[in-house]
Amino acid sequence: MTSVIEGTFREAGVAGWLHAVDLDSGREVGVRPDESVVLASVFKVPLLVAFFRRAAAGGLDPVERAVLPPGDRVAGTTGTSVLLDEVRMSLRDLACMMITVSDNTAADAVLARVGLEHVNRALVELGLERTRVTGSASDLHASLMADAGVTDPAELWSRLAEPGMSGRLSALDPARSSHGTPRELTRLLAAIWRDEAAPPAECAQMRRMLGLQVWPHRLASGFPYDDVLVSGKTGTLLNLRNEIGVVEYPDGGRYALAVFTRARSTAATHPRADAAIGTAARLAVQELRGWATSS
Amino acid sequence: MAVNLVGHLECFVAVAEELHFGRAADRLGMAQPPLSQRIQRLEKELGTRLFDRSSRRVALTASGRLLLEEARDLLDRAGRILTVAERAGDRATLRVGIPEDLDGAVVASLIGTFRDVRPDLPLELRPALTEDHLRALADGTLDVGVLRHPCDTSGLALGPMLGEPLGALLPDGSPPAAAPELRLADLEGHDLVVPRRGNSSAALEDLLASCARHGFVPGAVHESPHPQFTLGLVLAGTAVALVPRTPAAPGTVWRPLLGAPLLRRTSCAWRAGAPPEGPIADLIDVTTRVLRTEAAMTPVPHRVVLRPSSGFLA
Repeated sequence: MTSVIEGTFREAGVAGWLHAVDLDSGREVGVRPDESVVLASVFKVPLLVAFFRRAAAGGLDPVERAVLPPGDRVAGTTGTSVLLDEVRMSLRDLACMMITVSDNTAADAVLARVGLEHVNRALVELGLERTRVTGSASDLHASLMADAGVTDPAELWSRLAEPGMSGRLSALDPARSSHGTPRELTRLLAAIWRDEAAPPAECAQMRRMLGLQVWPHRLASGFPYDDVLVSGKTGTLLNLRNEIGVVEYPDGGRYALAVFTRARSTAATHPRADAAIGTAARLAVQELRGWATSS
Repeated sequence: MAVNLVGHLECFVAVAEELHFGRAADRLGMAQPPLSQRIQRLEKELGTRLFDRSSRRVALTASGRLLLEEARDLLDRAGRILTVAERAGDRATLRVGIPEDLDGAVVASLIGTFRDVRPDLPLELRPALTEDHLRALADGTLDVGVLRHPCDTSGLALGPMLGEPLGALLPDGSPPAAAPELRLADLEGHDLVVPRRGNSSAALEDLLASCARHGFVPGAVHESPHPQFTLGLVLAGTAVALVPRTPAAPGTVWRPLLGAPLLRRTSCAWRAGAPPEGPIADLIDVTTRVLRTEAAMTPVPHRVVLRPSSGFLA
């Protein structure tokens, strides 16, 4: 099966990494599942976990209001990042924006309140040794601009194909950016789904937010079934396209998935790469279900 | 008013739409001279000319154009009066559309059970394809239809959705036939034969999507005009058929599918609007009951997890 999954990645023109695990039986499928990969916006999931752990421990109040002043937005194409005027929102609603639409401004506001050290402490406490968050969305954007010697993302896109450019970008290097392994990320999801990442009420809130993520083009595209619940969080950074999530079948089957891709093409729009994430995930789930009674 | 206004307006609308007396007469199923006479009579009655007739062409006059919309509106309403009257009137029979291939025992039970409930009302059973029933329900010439899904149910109210598990019809002695129960994935590598009649493209698409979901992508899909042709392809080992449990013909075996992943879905349907009452309500109740008990159909559980991208107004 792993060769079929690798074929899917190859045909879509991407290098791919995958880990899939049956949350109940522990059976797993992996394609280079222990290699280090760049998280991109997937870093918002460890941040979400740390947020709710701190909230449960009384370290912060999830309904505390945050104020996002006008003119001080983090680069981004969704949510509060594109709004022009002052936004007042509770921390947990900001967390919801950062998960459901990958809102960078909301993520950085949550991170500012949670603290980067608490995010990495949560990862250590959950036994995840190879997953680390190294900075905010804003930090990542600044490093990209500085490494590329450009001032706006559009210019970076237009120069991405230049020789040596992508090698200069530390944001694309797992050794110098927020990183993890596919296997550790499915463990993180498993902890959320088993009420181990935080108390059950907090885990339920996390699952709700992940289930409300809007994007249909990656993991969800692989499961075009009305009776299957797909929860997830994407990560997108130039030619990197990722998504981690959990797929739940009506017979109770639950599968955590982590799929990371790096496209050979520097095209900004790459629907085949997006769809390959869903296809690879479905192939893995089919393998785990063994074409059982109600695949 | 002396003339049969509705009848004359039908003539007027036909001529106005065809702008040709010969074609309008064909459409109305009458000869041209009486049509011309009717138009003249209508013009006289209304006191205005409706058409300019030259030797070469027919055109609406200004009054004709003005009256055309009114005439159409009146004809629509006249049609509705007839439909409503037909529905409201006491009919001697109830008209029920059923699938052509409904099992004989089920047909008998439908008649017998309804006779017990309403001995005064004979049933008129009309076996036909679902698409024919849909048309008849829309026309008001059918009281209740037993429909196979998926189909276009706009304007209809549906009874409970019932499902019959499909199994695989295989040649006796073929490798997958060795197991008492199959997984769809065990059929991988086979072609599929489906009936041509009564299999809408939506139904076929649904079937193939469910097969693919469960690991069976047929090499080819053959459309069969007749059950004997289906049997032939199965016996020859060319293709498998996915059908409800049937007494298998000699040389073939029917095997259930593990977990019943494929269901043939059936429900009663009637025109939406006022909740059914009286004999129609009895009929819906009897039909649903008979399908459950005699045809062993069971309610289809249907869970839909709405994704944000297909949510309300998304």
